Amino acid sequence: MSFETDISRIEEITQKLNASDTSLEESIALFEEGMRLAKALEKALAEAKRSVEIVLGEDPREAEITPLQ
Amino acid sequence: MDNLFMTELSVSELTSLIKQTLEQGFYGLKVTGEISNFRPSSTGHWFFTLKDASCSISAVMFKGSTWKVDFTPQEGDKVTVTGGLDVYGARGTYQLKCDTMEKSGFGQILAMLEMRKRHYASLGYFDEKTKKAIPKLPLRVGVVTSPTGAALQDILNILERRAPSLDVLVLPATVQGEGAASSIANRIQQANNLLLCDVLIVGRGGGSIEDLLPFSEESVIEAIHASEIPVVSAVGHEIDWALSDFVADLRAPTPSAAAELVSQGYLDYQNQVANLHVQLQRSIENRLLLAESKVRRFDTKAMGMRINSIISAKEYLLANAGNSLVIAQKQLLKSYAGRLELAIRELQALSPLAILARGYAVVHNQEGKLVASRMQAEPGSLLTLTFTDGSRKALVKE
Repeated sequence: MSFETDISRIEEITQKLNASDTSLEESIALFEEGMRLAKALEKALAEAKRSVEIVLGEDPREAEITPLQ
Repeated sequence: MDNLFMTELSVSELTSLIKQTLEQGFYGLKVTGEISNFRPSSTGHWFFTLKDASCSISAVMFKGSTWKVDFTPQEGDKVTVTGGLDVYGARGTYQLKCDTMEKSGFGQILAMLEMRKRHYASLGYFDEKTKKAIPKLPLRVGVVTSPTGAALQDILNILERRAPSLDVLVLPATVQGEGAASSIANRIQQANNLLLCDVLIVGRGGGSIEDLLPFSEESVIEAIHASEIPVVSAVGHEIDWALSDFVADLRAPTPSAAAELVSQGYLDYQNQVANLHVQLQRSIENRLLLAESKVRRFDTKAMGMRINSIISAKEYLLANAGNSLVIAQKQLLKSYAGRLELAIRELQALSPLAILARGYAVVHNQEGKLVASRMQAEPGSLLTLTFTDGSRKALVKE
């Protein structure tokens, strides 16, 4: 997933929704798509799923990585 | 008291003389020594002994001066103080009354840092154009710092709050004292060799100038300069600085601020997405309102009214047309009547009956044909004579 492309797509959808020549059926389909993207983005940005790890060993050529704590 | 040898003095007089001599003769001094027997009083004054290898001198620093010292002296600290001698008559002692205190060598350290800074500046290490951009949405942040320091906890907390999806990799380093610089430099190289992250925070919490020195060491400056991964330097408090601040791609005033800087992109995106969310809803609401207003024109009541107005307009037209038609018809009839009368009159004028009335008769043969010549009326044939008031049969004799 690319934030950049998804955000551009939502912007594009908003523009189309504001355009008067977009049909109602098309508008509703676009709106649904936009909301789906926005919710997915919000979820991706706000959901706590990070990993916090620490490097063990001093050797600069290799690193053993293990979860912190 | 021209001649001390000839005068008999009281203890107070002697003490007063000593006090005058010492205090007026020894002022504006700058003394360097080691702190010993440090005894801060509950009222904010510091009592201690300043010593070197062979001698010691009592020293005092009053509350009015101690607050200006940015560290609390420890046993064995080498410090440079300024002040003058002070005689305490009641005990017959003298002491050094200190006005300022700084860690000994502070000036040399500053001068050394300044020189090193100029050296690296001349090599172009601090040039703005060599600075790499900090990625807007890093996927993993490397943190080179003490694994047990408060700085790491601050960074982890802030990142979790602002960018909960951002991975963090701690590269534990010794951040003060012996071996700190090589430990820090080593971690920066390790992160680069193995491409462990896409942005590096290098830093520690506040401390004395000596504590922060590793971040100004050559090996750290070189490691940051060579780093392919963008580096954020985050050393000490706002007022502190280290040469890593200058060579790094971005200087953060504190470790917490560094965490805020690397997570700013996530926060911006969150706001942007939230805005877009609202915009989307607003757009579709407008679109629906528009559609509704179009549909509303076709609701039964409005439509009934429209049709009624069309019908009544037509009815009016029709009523008008009806009137005109009746009038037109009447006129037409009238004109027909006139024409008819005229025609009748003309007809009457031309009627043979009118001629018959003057004494003429019309002659038909038996076949009903008009007889206009004597040749058509053979003797012995029967003819019909029509008069104005009727007809008679006549027999032709000759």
